[in-house]
Amino acid sequence: MYKLFLKIATRYLLKNKLYSFINIFGLAVGIASFVLIMRYVNYENSYDTFEGSENVQRVYMDYTEEGVFVPGDAQTYNLSGPTLKETFPEIKEFVRLSHITDVTFRYNNSLINNEKGALADPSYFDVFKYPLLKGDLSTALKEPYTILLTESLATKLFGDENPIGKTIEVMLRGKTLFEVTGVLKNLPENTHMKNDFLISFNTLMTWEGYPDNPEPNWNGNNLFTYIKLDENTKVDVLKKKIMDFKVESLPYERHNLEPLEDIHLYSDKPYEAEANGSASRVTFLLSIAFIIIILSWLNYVNLSTAKSLERAKEIGIRKVAGAQKPQIVVQSLLESVLLNLMAIAIAMLIVLLVLPIFSTFIGKEMTLTSGHIEDFLPLLGFLLLGTLISGLYPALVLSTYAPAKALKGTIKTASSGLTIRKGLIIGQFLATIILLIGTIVVTKQINFLQDQPIGANLNQVIAINGRIMGNEVDSLVRDDIETLKNELRNLPFVQTTVLAQTYPGGEYDNLSSSVGITYPNGEQDDTRIWYNYVVGPEYFTLMDMEFSAGGPFLENARGNSNQIVMNERFVKHMGILKMEDAINKTVKFFDEDWIISGVIKDYHHFGLKTGIEPMLIRYNRNVSNILIKVNQKTISTAGMTAAITQIENKWKAFFPKSTFNYTFLDQNFEAQYNEDKAFGSAFRIFTFLAVLIASMGLFGLTSYTCIQRRKEIGIRKVNGASIGQILRLLNKDFVKWVGLAFIIAVPISWYAMSKWLEGFAYKTTMSWWIFAFAGAIALVIAMLTVSWQSFRAAVANPIEALKEE
Amino acid sequence: MLLQLNNIFKWVQQGGQRVFLLKDINLEVEEGEFISIMGPSGSGKSTLLNVMGMLDTFDEGEYNFLDESVHQLREKHRANLYKQYIGFVFQAYHLIDELTVYENLEMPLLYKKISGSERKAMVADMLDRFNIVGKKDLFPAQLSGGQQQLVGVARALISKPKLILADEPTGNLNSKQGEDIMKLFKQLNSEGVTIIQVTHSEKNAQYGKRTINLLDGRMV
Repeated sequence: MYKLFLKIATRYLLKNKLYSFINIFGLAVGIASFVLIMRYVNYENSYDTFEGSENVQRVYMDYTEEGVFVPGDAQTYNLSGPTLKETFPEIKEFVRLSHITDVTFRYNNSLINNEKGALADPSYFDVFKYPLLKGDLSTALKEPYTILLTESLATKLFGDENPIGKTIEVMLRGKTLFEVTGVLKNLPENTHMKNDFLISFNTLMTWEGYPDNPEPNWNGNNLFTYIKLDENTKVDVLKKKIMDFKVESLPYERHNLEPLEDIHLYSDKPYEAEANGSASRVTFLLSIAFIIIILSWLNYVNLSTAKSLERAKEIGIRKVAGAQKPQIVVQSLLESVLLNLMAIAIAMLIVLLVLPIFSTFIGKEMTLTSGHIEDFLPLLGFLLLGTLISGLYPALVLSTYAPAKALKGTIKTASSGLTIRKGLIIGQFLATIILLIGTIVVTKQINFLQDQPIGANLNQVIAINGRIMGNEVDSLVRDDIETLKNELRNLPFVQTTVLAQTYPGGEYDNLSSSVGITYPNGEQDDTRIWYNYVVGPEYFTLMDMEFSAGGPFLENARGNSNQIVMNERFVKHMGILKMEDAINKTVKFFDEDWIISGVIKDYHHFGLKTGIEPMLIRYNRNVSNILIKVNQKTISTAGMTAAITQIENKWKAFFPKSTFNYTFLDQNFEAQYNEDKAFGSAFRIFTFLAVLIASMGLFGLTSYTCIQRRKEIGIRKVNGASIGQILRLLNKDFVKWVGLAFIIAVPISWYAMSKWLEGFAYKTTMSWWIFAFAGAIALVIAMLTVSWQSFRAAVANPIEALKEE
Repeated sequence: MLLQLNNIFKWVQQGGQRVFLLKDINLEVEEGEFISIMGPSGSGKSTLLNVMGMLDTFDEGEYNFLDESVHQLREKHRANLYKQYIGFVFQAYHLIDELTVYENLEMPLLYKKISGSERKAMVADMLDRFNIVGKKDLFPAQLSGGQQQLVGVARALISKPKLILADEPTGNLNSKQGEDIMKLFKQLNSEGVTIIQVTHSEKNAQYGKRTINLLDGRMV
């Protein structure tokens, strides 16, 4: 019997090619999108999960701002870990990680650049369960000047040689010898703390390459602290206790805790180890995934019930021949399982093809099987469950047909069935309109960010990131950089050059944050964080930054300056309302007196996701990034490549062994929005797919309605209705449904998109036209889809419809 | 002269051969006639009726309706013509199940740009004339077959056609109901409406003034 069922099913699918194609393809696209998004969501949720990871918390610092504590810094003090462990018995272990980047390694002739890693306590392996492939866990990271390398770094450096016990040169502001004591398994991609190597923490005490923290202290918070808690700890209680825990020398700060597993999605503090993901983005995509898969199934139900009318005769014959209701249900179900399995198979094919593109696009390395296979089983289970449920409805509808009526072709489904389908269509439109509005808002916001004036001109500015290799650093290096800067200025296409510690859009780590300043009126402010960096005096001209009062600082005879420039926000914080009043006033910080020479208009240093912070710019020659403003008039886009080569040649003349790194400031600034752009594109693509699927559903329902109303259309035509009048009759309902869906969609999407915009300090407006536009698009799509079918029904010869009975 | 069919042929291609549905039909119908078309199943009765009603096309011949050459008219004009002059009555009544008796009667008027008040008056008139005022809010499913056909006839009449085409109007009715409909037709005819009906029943054919017999698409 089942063989017969399969035979009928396959023949039926082959006979109705368009229907089968729409049905299978629609389902496949829906399933593929769902699986892709779920892979991404699972990946984002899988960050920093390992055996026992639920007991690991990261310690971070809260700072006071206007009297309340706010998350201030992801990094903690040298003493934070030891002190907390001593005070709270719930803490079983702590590990401190001090991040270092741009390290160069040398072993014999192999030279490896640009690696990043950390100094870590030996307790690293008690907190993070990352396995050691070679070496001894009990002694790893214990002795100073010992280093652990990841498998890939070890292979790059040593090839097939066994690295254990070998000595390598580590170049970071000078050259130091380290002994390799172990090889780490490569860290997974889904961790927020990516390290290529680990150096024993106690190296820090004596290491010249790392002069910041000689003795344990409460002075600078430059390292990450993770703690492992006893399994039975009530985290909320401990968190409260730690927040209440006072450190005498830090009156305006407190420690706080956050779960390790939450860092990637929920933490966005200054000085993170890397730019983290976003929980809201994941939630958004997750909602889209569910909308799409549900749309697909609704479609399937719609199309199958629409088509089932045509099969009424077959059902009638089979019932007359003695088929019982359950057998009809089973057959129909078997068909839908067959169809769904085909769709799932095609979907997997699509996923396999698209996943690499999707990965690069999302910026994550993902494969179908990456992560845990257990994550994948519920997904498959969910798909099968959906198949059963969506197959059951048409099956039940079919099985209730009374055989005599079915044979005569007088089947008319109950109007309740129509209500369900109406609901489905309204639901589909609701989803479509919400997604359309979302797409428009995301696009508008990204355009808004890009069009927003940032208060500085980054066009045609190249930054050379002066990473000078360890063995080229000597007492003359500053003079070399200075000379290089001046020589670059003499190139014909260069307008001007300047040395600068950082620039708008530069990384957080290149900027210093400080607390503690005495205002001109003598008021001491020890609570507010302010940011500062050092540049040459030409910086403001080069960047086109506008002065509200005063001007750039001047160099004094010793090649130094005690003058500073502030932004307006800082001046306002000091309680000075007129910018002119700040000029030549003295402030005190770093135990020195500084004179304000100028106030610049607020500019966006961090991009438009965050607000303007108090900013102070000082003069210092001691920086190695060179900014080059290229003369727009003398250089074409094509000429830029040649220009870069000339600049590189100059660099190589001074620093032959150091890598030449450069960025265009405008591109670098824009790169901050890359994740948002990727999100926007993902939104657009999946919206398009959702609309496509919804249109297919609509197509199905229209053909169903047209079949159902064939007789009515015939009667009306015989009684004088024109084609236009029939079209209006058929399309009227759909307009009503789109309208209803629109009314429901507006508040939902308004709420959702307002939530999304909350993530930006500067947001675009949600104009009325966004909603109108999305509604109009939905209406046009609906009308086009519907009219295709209803036109055919309207022009059909009425006697064809009427002679059936 | 109401209508005139000259040498009408209609065929379909089947397996490379022409199968004739209508073969050389010549027919003149004067205003005020009551014609019955008879013949066995498949003899082309309904096809002929549909051709006369302009619901179906033909392949050869001429058809003049009130001095208009139907075979030369565009579809839209044809529709306007039958909309104005012809009412249809079907064996299966073909009422719209989702509309009440009142709405079913009103429906043809909606397609004729007749004002609301006028429509109301015309429907009321029809309900009155057929004694179905009490049933105006019922749906077709709530009526007996005879009553449904009564509504069907009323709907065919509502836009005051010159010609009523009825395709086995009593086919689904019992003899009493059938007789009532036939009497109604006779009365309408005496009031000046031209009627052409297709029927299987000799008895019903007797109500007509003239009978046309068809066999295999030919008039005999």
